[in-house]
Amino acid sequence: MHIVVCIKQIVDPEIPSADFKVDFKAKRAVQDQGEPVLNPYDDNAIEVALQLKDRDKDIKVTALTVGGETSQKVLRRALAMGCDEAIWLKDPSFETLDSAGTAAVIARGIRQAGVADLILCGRQAGDWDMGQVGALLAEELRIACIPLAYNVEKKGDTLLVKRETDNGMAVLEVGIPVLLNITNSSSNLPRYPSVKGVLMAGRKQIPTFSARDLSIDSEISNLIVVEELTLPSYDRHVVFMEGEDGPEKAVNLAAHLIKMNLLK
Amino acid sequence: MPGILVYASIFCDAVSMPTREMLGMARTIAAKTGEPVSAALLGSGISSLTQSLVEAGADSVYVCDNDKLGEFHANVYLKVLADIAATVNPRIIIFPGETAAMELAPRLAHRLKGGLVTDCIGFEARDDAVVFTKPVYGSKALARMRIASPTALVTVRPRTQEPFGPDAARKGAVVNVQAAIDDVRPETLTVERVEEEVVECTLEAANVVVSGGRGMKDAESFQQLRELAALLNGAVGATRVAVDQGMVPPSCQIGLTGKIVAPEVYFAVGISGASQHIAGMSGSKYIVAINSDPDAPIFSISNVGVVDDYRNVLPTLIEELRKALAK
Ligand SMILES: Cc1cc2nc3c(=O)[nH]c(=O)nc-3n(C[C@H](O)[C@H](O)[C@H](O)COP(=O)(O)OP(=O)(O)OC[C@H]3O[C@@H](n4cnc5c(N)ncnc54)[C@H](O)[C@@H]3O)c2cc1C
Ligand SMILES: Nc1ncnc2c1ncn2[C@@H]1O[C@H](COP(=O)(O)O)[C@@H](O)[C@H]1O
Repeated sequence: MHIVVCIKQIVDPEIPSADFKVDFKAKRAVQDQGEPVLNPYDDNAIEVALQLKDRDKDIKVTALTVGGETSQKVLRRALAMGCDEAIWLKDPSFETLDSAGTAAVIARGIRQAGVADLILCGRQAGDWDMGQVGALLAEELRIACIPLAYNVEKKGDTLLVKRETDNGMAVLEVGIPVLLNITNSSSNLPRYPSVKGVLMAGRKQIPTFSARDLSIDSEISNLIVVEELTLPSYDRHVVFMEGEDGPEKAVNLAAHLIKMNLLK
Repeated sequence: MPGILVYASIFCDAVSMPTREMLGMARTIAAKTGEPVSAALLGSGISSLTQSLVEAGADSVYVCDNDKLGEFHANVYLKVLADIAATVNPRIIIFPGETAAMELAPRLAHRLKGGLVTDCIGFEARDDAVVFTKPVYGSKALARMRIASPTALVTVRPRTQEPFGPDAARKGAVVNVQAAIDDVRPETLTVERVEEEVVECTLEAANVVVSGGRGMKDAESFQQLRELAALLNGAVGATRVAVDQGMVPPSCQIGLTGKIVAPEVYFAVGISGASQHIAGMSGSKYIVAINSDPDAPIFSISNVGVVDDYRNVLPTLIEELRKALAK
């Protein structure tokens, strides 16, 4: 079985609002603030793939990204975690793709990687928070798609997929090929790369494919146009509860909440 | 005549509240452009709901009532939806931002070659196009997005739009759609389903939400939050980290990729205040934060704060509130 995990490098989503910088002209985040990171949901997706591989050594896992110069780092990280191969789709024309364009390019990249039985995406990338590339990619490849998945087991030729539902969870049986959009759960907490993994990953060749290599001749036109990016403002002023120690602050907090008539 | 098509979702055998909100949004756009508003209603035994969609703002309802639509399967629903879209040929398709839309909207967008903006919270109907506002970068920024394709698709966050009416005098057309789904097999087979029981009240409906994050350290500590919540007839929420650490089930997650709540009072305990968490609770009327780090970002959006280890604060707080509220 061959698993392809689609991963993306993003501006660190944990940068606090107060420090977050926007390039208003380019209409996107300032790209070189902090260290860019692997999208956290893609980290969960890698973990789901590697758990399958832990149980069946014949499974091959390929990490794939569409990204610019710095994004090689997330591929190295994926290799260090235990992925077998990496594929880098890299072209100046890929840097401004919208969701549909990204899915189209990934579909071409996956065809380069040969047959993919299971494709994993993150539930959403923490830059544009779109949550649609996975489902678009499934359509692009004309395969089945399951959202909010967090755990997978092989059962003969099919897969048992655990997914979140509105009020709990469900176990679904699905044939391959299939695309899963992975959400976080205590069962797919990402592993850290091992020292050995990091060493091996550093030596690994990462094949890159340009638009031309993927036989994309004409510019992919975007369906979504960002007209403006703004920063929201919160206008709350915090009042800190005074006190010698925790219990005293707690007494003051309780009195304050009662005085404000907030609790019934 | 271009038009607006709203995907109707059903909750407890009735037209869902988010659907009413979407119809309200569609009516606001239509008031400016004069285009018709249609609703697509799919399911089994649902034909009786068409009139309430009309009363909620639809000019026409395309209904597909079929046994095979009793259980939700995205690929089966998609076939019917694509057929309805081909008949209506709408300029804008609006989905209530619920779980089903996560897969329906992008997959339909692909089939119609239309652009999709997800999790929209506002819009501006201009003469040339509708521009949608959407939080991006974990809600640290807002983007205004225009869709360049002839068909524009959008999923809209519940509780951000005003519903229309209902107006019992409204009349509309009902179109019965034949489901061409005989050769569309569901992609998945449901083997098991586990539904959590709602303990006290649902998170979204709670007047008080008591949430914990990584700072709680373990599942046992959440017992204190449950105690406080029970005392205030509230519900317990959590951050993504608390869910990941197995302290609480995923259904407790509050934030951009969890539930969105707006209670009277929100307690944030051991929560740093990442923008993705704030996105799910900043609408709360009053925010109380307890955090040992005076520089935690959560304080910048809180009304009152306590800088201390929560373990020094919660026991006394619970005891004091119990005394005060018993009176
Ligand atoms: C695309 C995307 C979507 C996301 N969606 C969500 C979402 O829906 N919901 C969500 O919550 N997160 C979400 N996140 C994750 C988010 O970015 C943060 O990682 C997360 O909210 C942090 O959780 P936390 O506050 O519990 O942990 P931390 O950030 O680690 O904060 C723990 C806090 O506890 C305090 N603390 C420690 N010990 C104590 C003590 N004894 N007493 C008092 N205080 C203490 C610390 O000072 C610290 O401020 C998302 C991220 C991405 C990229
Ligand atoms: N540039 C990219 N390269 C590889 N995978 C991507 C890229 N963009 C998005 N994805 C995948 O699609 C998921 C959803 O992204 P989005 O629709 O942008 O929120 C991500 O979690 C990734 O798994």
